Amino acid sequence: MTTEPQAFAQSRSTPSDGAPDLVFTGIGAVASVGGSADEIFQALCAGRSGLAELRSFDRGRYRVQHAYEIDDRPESGADAPGRATRWLLDAIAEAARDAGLGEDLAGIPILIGTGLRELRSAELGWRDGADFDLARLHFGTALRERFGAVRTYTFSNACSASLYALALGSDLLAAGEAETVIVAGVDTLTESMYGLLDRVHMEAPDQLRPFDRERKGVLMGEGAAAVVLRRADSNGGAPVRGRLRSVAVNCDAYHVTAPDPNGIAEAVRTAHREAGVKPEDIDLVMLHGTGTLLNDEAEATAVGEVFGSHVSRPLMTAIKSMTGHTSGGSGLLSLIVALQAIEGGRIPPVVGLREPVAEAESFRLVRDEQRIAEPLLAQVDAFGFGGVNAVAIVERAAL
Amino acid sequence: MSTTDILITGIGTALPGVEGPMDLVDTATPRAGTAPPVDPAALIGKRGLRYKDRASQLALCAALAALTDAGLWAKDQLTVAGPSVAVVVSSNLGNLDTVCEVAADITTEGVNGISPMGLPNASSNVIASSVAIRFGLQGPNLMVCNGATSGLDAVHWGAAMLRAGRAERALVIGVETHNGPVEWLVGRPAAELLDGAVALLLETAPAAAERGSAPIAVLGSYAREASVEACVRRLVPTHSGQPGSWFVPEGHREASPAPLAGVARTDLTERFGRASGALGVLQCATAARQLAAGGEAIEQPPVLVTSGNDHDDASAGLLLRAVGASA
Repeated sequence: MTTEPQAFAQSRSTPSDGAPDLVFTGIGAVASVGGSADEIFQALCAGRSGLAELRSFDRGRYRVQHAYEIDDRPESGADAPGRATRWLLDAIAEAARDAGLGEDLAGIPILIGTGLRELRSAELGWRDGADFDLARLHFGTALRERFGAVRTYTFSNACSASLYALALGSDLLAAGEAETVIVAGVDTLTESMYGLLDRVHMEAPDQLRPFDRERKGVLMGEGAAAVVLRRADSNGGAPVRGRLRSVAVNCDAYHVTAPDPNGIAEAVRTAHREAGVKPEDIDLVMLHGTGTLLNDEAEATAVGEVFGSHVSRPLMTAIKSMTGHTSGGSGLLSLIVALQAIEGGRIPPVVGLREPVAEAESFRLVRDEQRIAEPLLAQVDAFGFGGVNAVAIVERAAL
Repeated sequence: MSTTDILITGIGTALPGVEGPMDLVDTATPRAGTAPPVDPAALIGKRGLRYKDRASQLALCAALAALTDAGLWAKDQLTVAGPSVAVVVSSNLGNLDTVCEVAADITTEGVNGISPMGLPNASSNVIASSVAIRFGLQGPNLMVCNGATSGLDAVHWGAAMLRAGRAERALVIGVETHNGPVEWLVGRPAAELLDGAVALLLETAPAAAERGSAPIAVLGSYAREASVEACVRRLVPTHSGQPGSWFVPEGHREASPAPLAGVARTDLTERFGRASGALGVLQCATAARQLAAGGEAIEQPPVLVTSGNDHDDASAGLLLRAVGASA
């Protein structure tokens, strides 16, 4: 059943009518291109990609031969359980350190967005008899062991999961139920998802090329990302990495894998409305840009529609061209890069982009090399299987 | 009731041995292990079920029943705007079979030996998106996979999204099934595992009032704490009265924490089998029907629902009140 998104009289408060100011006080990340948020940003600005031949699985079983993996398997090269959990803990520890929180996170809600949880470990357990336990399919068990945290939540919301988690975390802060939350995202390659994506590609992609006419499809990537988000009124003047203006979430209710430009456009409009901004205010768009035939077209169509005559104003980039599609963690990874771009005055390029699709022809895409710029306000896109859309607006912290 | 209350205005079941929500409080119904399995095609027709995994099929059945019970689905149509309805699904094991079996099949047959129709089911949120697509629910769509407390956490996040103004209604579904991979990971035979779904329709008090719907029960406070004891102490302070009944976590046999001495206990897993991510939703549905059966007495005490025992990563709890009972 397909219906046009209808207006729904929302009663959400916006920054203009008394919702609390929310600030990022710490960031952390792990990906194929680097082991910390800083390393990743340096690599992306240098145009360095994590693309490599597939290492986790037996390559002889697949047509697709490439991925953007974190190469930390045991020396034998064989895959081992628990890698996603390890990256998640590393990213959270880094973000907590950055925010001056230390390792004891008891009492702080931790919200995890993931596409594939520890399902890779389940595959290894079921098929190969690797040691794996039901209690580790979600991340709460490891978060309690490492950080003493018990208000922990694992949301499995496909490729928009970490921005969905950010939306829910921001609601907790706005409702006064916490002063600080940690939001994180993580994903590893699973053989089932890698294989099924391989199976539906017409031709095996050897590089993820967002918005390029010659793109052949998505390639999976691995990584984790984490932020510490606080109510500004409880931050006591400590340094901040940026402000969160809004996160909008919705569902196309259209198809289990194909996107709907109407649902995406509605999510972007809602994010702008709740942030109290207009398309012409946005300086930077971190596109979802998966390099999938349908997805890039749908996103470009939706962005073109919402931005209208202003579509050539904001700079745009798509980091999946270097990180691969890091699935549930990808939205938050893009958001962290947006905060770093705002802080650092430079924007990573889309690599591998030769000729943009017609729908993105008028976009001001950063190409080939980093761009020096001073964006103040950024939009971050994340869309997932099942039409789960999430769009965040972030802003430079007041100087 | 106050305008900030979150109400349960519909319940739907797709449970073995249960005809509908009224049966939840009828303890004479057979144990799940002995009742015939739910037949989704018989409940909602065959159309659209092909390629859907068992968990998604069961969730669709419970969803239709809850939407119908709440008066939100009539003549094959949603009676309210699609974006006003959020979907929250809790399941830990729903797509485990697809994931494990596809991985094994690739090893034996290579990638060309697997069916591309399995792609949606490789993503754990397929249940939540399938429900949204079938019924046109365009509000936020959330898949909670949070271990033993997952069902109660899902109810909590459904309510939280309504309080935050992200939607006016939330369809919250708990579902689990059993198959080879599930039996392996849980370490129990099929006869001890739930194969079913249950759904709650949560609604803000103003939205319910506007369409004149009759609430079944009212949601109270929620907590997720380090132990059953800590959770109960958070929700039932010593100076407050005792709850009228207590739905205990799976297999919880320990002596009651002091505030609950003498309170009637129910372990729904004794009747329905291990319910994992479905348990919390099942407990809330049963508690809500129990409260509704108790009438609108102002003095009727709340019911306490808890999931996650001291061997799990946490214990979550939620209070439910009768309609008209004081907070």
